[in-house]
Amino acid sequence: MPRPLARIAIATALMTPVAALPSTEHEIRELRSLIDEMKTQYERRIQELESRLSKAEQEAHQSAQRSEAAAARAETAARTAAIESRPMTAPTVVEPSEAQSPKTVLGALTSGTAFNPQISVFLDGNYYHDTIGGEGGSLVGRAFQPSRVFGDHGHDHGHGHDHGGHSHGAPVNGFNFTEAEIALTGTVDPYFDAALFLAVDGDGGVELEEAYFQTRALPAGLRVKGGKFLSDFGYINKQHPHQWDFADQNLPYLNLLGDHGLLDTGLQITWLPKLPVYTLLGVEAFQGNQEIFGTTLDGGEQTELGLGRTTDGPRLWTAFAKVSPNLPTHHALQFGLSYAHNTQHQEVHEHTHQHRHDDHHDHDHDHGHGHGHGHGHGHDHSHRVVVHRNGLAGDASLWGVDLVYKYDGGGAYGHRNLLFQTEYLRSIKDLTVRSSAHPEAIGSNRTFTTDGLYAQAVYGFAPRWTTGLRYDVLGLTNKISGGRNDSFGSSDRWTFDVTWNLTEFSRLRAQYAYNNILESPGERERFDAFYLQFVMALGSHGAHAF
Amino acid sequence: MTIRSFSIGVLAALLTLTAWGSFAAPLEVVATSPSMGALARSIGADRTRVTVLASPDRDLHMLQAKPTMIRALRDADLVVAIGAELEIGWLPMAIGSAANPRVLPGQPGYFEAAAQVDLLDVGAPADRAQGDVHPVGNPHVNMDPERMVQIAQALAAQLARLDPAGADTYQANAEHFALAVAQRMPIWQEQLAGAPGAVLYHRDAVYLLDRFNVPLLGTLEEIPGVPPTARHVKALQDQLQGRSGIIIYAPYQSVQAPNRLARELGWEAVSLTLEPPMNAAGSDYLDHIDRWVLALSQPQ
Repeated sequence: MPRPLARIAIATALMTPVAALPSTEHEIRELRSLIDEMKTQYERRIQELESRLSKAEQEAHQSAQRSEAAAARAETAARTAAIESRPMTAPTVVEPSEAQSPKTVLGALTSGTAFNPQISVFLDGNYYHDTIGGEGGSLVGRAFQPSRVFGDHGHDHGHGHDHGGHSHGAPVNGFNFTEAEIALTGTVDPYFDAALFLAVDGDGGVELEEAYFQTRALPAGLRVKGGKFLSDFGYINKQHPHQWDFADQNLPYLNLLGDHGLLDTGLQITWLPKLPVYTLLGVEAFQGNQEIFGTTLDGGEQTELGLGRTTDGPRLWTAFAKVSPNLPTHHALQFGLSYAHNTQHQEVHEHTHQHRHDDHHDHDHDHGHGHGHGHGHGHDHSHRVVVHRNGLAGDASLWGVDLVYKYDGGGAYGHRNLLFQTEYLRSIKDLTVRSSAHPEAIGSNRTFTTDGLYAQAVYGFAPRWTTGLRYDVLGLTNKISGGRNDSFGSSDRWTFDVTWNLTEFSRLRAQYAYNNILESPGERERFDAFYLQFVMALGSHGAHAF
Repeated sequence: MTIRSFSIGVLAALLTLTAWGSFAAPLEVVATSPSMGALARSIGADRTRVTVLASPDRDLHMLQAKPTMIRALRDADLVVAIGAELEIGWLPMAIGSAANPRVLPGQPGYFEAAAQVDLLDVGAPADRAQGDVHPVGNPHVNMDPERMVQIAQALAAQLARLDPAGADTYQANAEHFALAVAQRMPIWQEQLAGAPGAVLYHRDAVYLLDRFNVPLLGTLEEIPGVPPTARHVKALQDQLQGRSGIIIYAPYQSVQAPNRLARELGWEAVSLTLEPPMNAAGSDYLDHIDRWVLALSQPQ
C-alpha cells in the first residue's frame, strides 16, 4: 500500500470510533489489523503512542464526561486522541470527550510548557551618574553605623563566601549592567512547587539567588518552604530588584541587611489561620550566613581574636505576622511585624594609632571607637601606624514593622493606581569585647543599635506612567551603649523617579536622589545621584505577590 | 477510659463533625469575576455561598493579588475562573498563597470556564511582539450567552462532584439558566439582525459579536496591551468613513481614542463593562447582555 494512501486509510479508520459511537468489535479488529500492518513502518512512533495511550487512559478515568461539543472540535485534536487512545488496547469504548483531554485535563487552559518549568528572564541595567565621581553608588550601602566598620580588613566579609565583588546596587558613573535574573519555576509533583533564581552580573559572575521548594498540599492553611530563599521578614525583603519601584534599595535594608536582604538557606513554615481577616503567621530557621546581620568571621580570625568557632546552624531565626483588614474592593492594606534573631554575631573593629617617637599617647582613631588609652604595648615602634583589632562576639536582633497600602485606581494601564509603603527596621547587636589591645576593655559589653525607616509612594499619573517619591533614613538611633556610650548622626536621602511601563514586560525609569550620607563620625557626603534604568522581562507571564 | 476508647470517641466526634459540616455548610465558591459569580449563584442557589474577587469596572488581566483574596481562597471549596490565562497575573499567586490544596488547578475545586467551550482566536503565535497575546485562545468567553449555557452545564456537573446531594438542584438550575437564555436568544437575534458592527477597544467582546454575526469593524488597540496609536486611529477612521457603527470600550480603558474616533466618524462611543454588577445573579447576567445588545443594535 503506498504511504499516502495508508495514511488516509489509517486516519479514516482511526476516526471512525469518534465519528460513530459506539465502536463495534469488528471495527476494532479492523483497526488492529491495520495498525499491525503499519507497525513495522511506524515502530518507533507506536511505542511512543503506547506510552501516551496509557497516560490518556488514566486521564480518561478522571476527566468528567463531556458532551457533543467534541464533534465540532478541531479534527486534529480528534485524530490525535483517537490514535492515542483507541486501537491498540481497545476493548473499551471511550467517549469522544476524550478528544479534549489534552486541553482540559487540568480544568485549566494554559500556554503549556510541556513539563519544562516556566522560564522568565529579567534584564536590569542603567546609566548612573553622581556628583562625587561615582563613589555614591557604593557609599549609600556604607552609611555609618557603629557596628559596621569598613577598612582594609573590615569584617564585612562573611565566612566562606565573598560578597565584596557582587552587588546588585553599586553602580559606577556611566553604564552599568546590574544583573540578568533567570527565574525557573514549576510544579514538581502533586506535593511540591519549586523555583530557581539565578543572577548573572555584568561581569558574567553567576550567583544563586534563590532555590527552594514549597509545599502544595498541606492542610489547615500550612505551607512549608525549604532551600535558599528570601525571608518573608518585612515587606520589601522578598522582592527581587526588578520588582522595586526605585532603581536602588532603600537605606535601611541596604545597610542593615546588605545587597541581598535577608537571604539564607533554611526552612520556613507559614500558617494562614481561619480568622475573619487575613492573617499570615510564619517562622523561619536559617543557617545564619549573613552579610551584615549575624555574620561570623573566618576560622583564622576567630582563633586570632578569641571569638570562638562558628556554632552549628541554624543560627538565624525569624518570626513574622501579616494582617490585612477587609477594606472596600479597590483598597488593600497590610500591616506586618517581623523579628529576626541571630544567635551568633562576630565583628572585628579596627583602629589605627599614629605614633610619634616621643609621644605614645597621641593616637588617631579611624572610626568612632574610643577605647580609652594605654595602647601600643608590644608594638614595633619603628612603624608610625599601628592597627589595633578588637574582636567582638555576641548575638544580633532585628525588628521590623511594615505597612503597605494599595489603591486600584481602575484607569487604563495603571492610571490612578496608588501604592504607599513604609517600613521601620531596628537592629540591635549585643556584643562582648573578646580580644583587644586594650586589656581593660576585654569582657565589657557593647550594644550597637541602629535603626532606619523608609516611606515611599508611587502614583500612576497617566496611563503607563508612574511617579514615585521616597524618603529613607538610616540611624535615627545610631549608638553604642553598654561599656561605652556614644551616639552618631544619621544618613538620609530623598528620591524621586518617573517610570514608563511600556507594557507589562518592559519598563524605563529616570530617578534622581539627593543623598546626605554619614560616611564616618563628623564626615558627610552630600551629593546628587541620577539613574536611567531599564528593566525587561522575557518569557512567561509572571505574577507577583502582594 | 482507655486510650483506645478515647481515640474511638474522638474519631467518632470528628466524623460526626465532618459529616455535619458537609451537609449543613454551604459550598464556599470563590468566583474571579461577577459573571462567574452570577453563574455560580444561579446554579448553586442556596447550596453555595459565592464570593467575587474582582469588580466589573476593573481589568481582570491587570488585577493584583490582594491578601483579602487569599483569605477568601483559603476556605474555598471551589474556584470559578474565566481562565485561559486571563487571570494569570494574580490568580495563580493568590491560590498558591492560600494554602488550600482543594482549589489548585487539576483538583475538583478548580473550574475554568474557558476550558469548557471552544475558543476563538486560538493559536496566535506566542510572540510578544504581537503584544499580550493568548495563544490558547481568547479568554473572554463570558460574553457569549450560548457558551455560558455550556459553562453552566459543566459547572453544575462540577458542583455535583463536590456536593453529590445537590446534583439534582444544580442540574435543574443549569437547565433553568439554559431556558432563560433560550428565551432571550431569538429576541437578541432579532435585535441584532443587520447590526452594522462595532469597533472595540480590545478583542474582549468578540464572542458576543461572533455569536450574533455582528461585524467587528476594528480594535482601537492595534496590539493587545499597548495603547492605541494616533496612526492606527487615523487608519481606522479612513477605513470606516461613511459606514455606521458603534465604538464600545470598557471603563478601565482610555476614553481619548474612542472619543476621538467617534468624533471623526460621527459615531457614538459608549462605555460598557464586560461583567455584570458585583452581586449579579443569573438574570442580571442576561440584563448585562441586554445592555450590549441594545448598544450594538442602535448605532447612529
